[in-house]
Amino acid sequence: MNPLIWTSEGNVPVASLSYETEWDINPEYIKFVERYRNAKGETVKESAHVYDLRGLASAGVAGSF
Amino acid sequence: MANSQAICTSFKNELMNGIHAFGTTVTRAGTSADTFKAALILASGSYGAATTVYDGTSEVSGTNYTAGGVTFTWAAPATSGTTAYSTPSASFAWTTVTLSTAFDTVQIYNSTQGNKSVSIHTFGSQTVTAGNFTITMPTNDATTGLIRIA
Repeated sequence: MNPLIWTSEGNVPVASLSYETEWDINPEYIKFVERYRNAKGETVKESAHVYDLRGLASAGVAGSF
Repeated sequence: MANSQAICTSFKNELMNGIHAFGTTVTRAGTSADTFKAALILASGSYGAATTVYDGTSEVSGTNYTAGGVTFTWAAPATSGTTAYSTPSASFAWTTVTLSTAFDTVQIYNSTQGNKSVSIHTFGSQTVTAGNFTITMPTNDATTGLIRIA
């Protein structure tokens, strides 16, 4: 059994691709990227997942008389 | 106990709930929550605090991506201490998309109120090929909630 995976080149055997991951970690977010490349080194499948660690804050300021 | 000047915490919460109208141009059709959407914006865009509406400028395009982005709902606005906050109830997800031009931003906007912009969030330049892109929301509290009025 040779598992297939959907890529930009259609369904291809997973074993024919190289798999790499990438992490981007900073105070605002964590991003995980997973990428499959074919034998020519071309990206045929790439997904990304962002975890927003903290949103945006706006300060309400009351004026002084 | 002395008096102290402050913007009332309840008012911050009520701003998110559309209770106050300082101007005279607000027209609300009912008491239901508005419809909000999230659109992905190219890294070459110029979005920021000065952005007023969603108009499709510099929006991504590609296989299985629908212009305008995805619809979501907010958690009911709440307060803690002197901060009002709210966060989308679920992650934003784009499935089996191909977005070949680098994007790095999501714009949140109110599609009920003329696509008026709410906020701009960046996450580093990215492309997607025959894959998924998701944005998982932060914990919904006064410290990390997606939108906070402190």
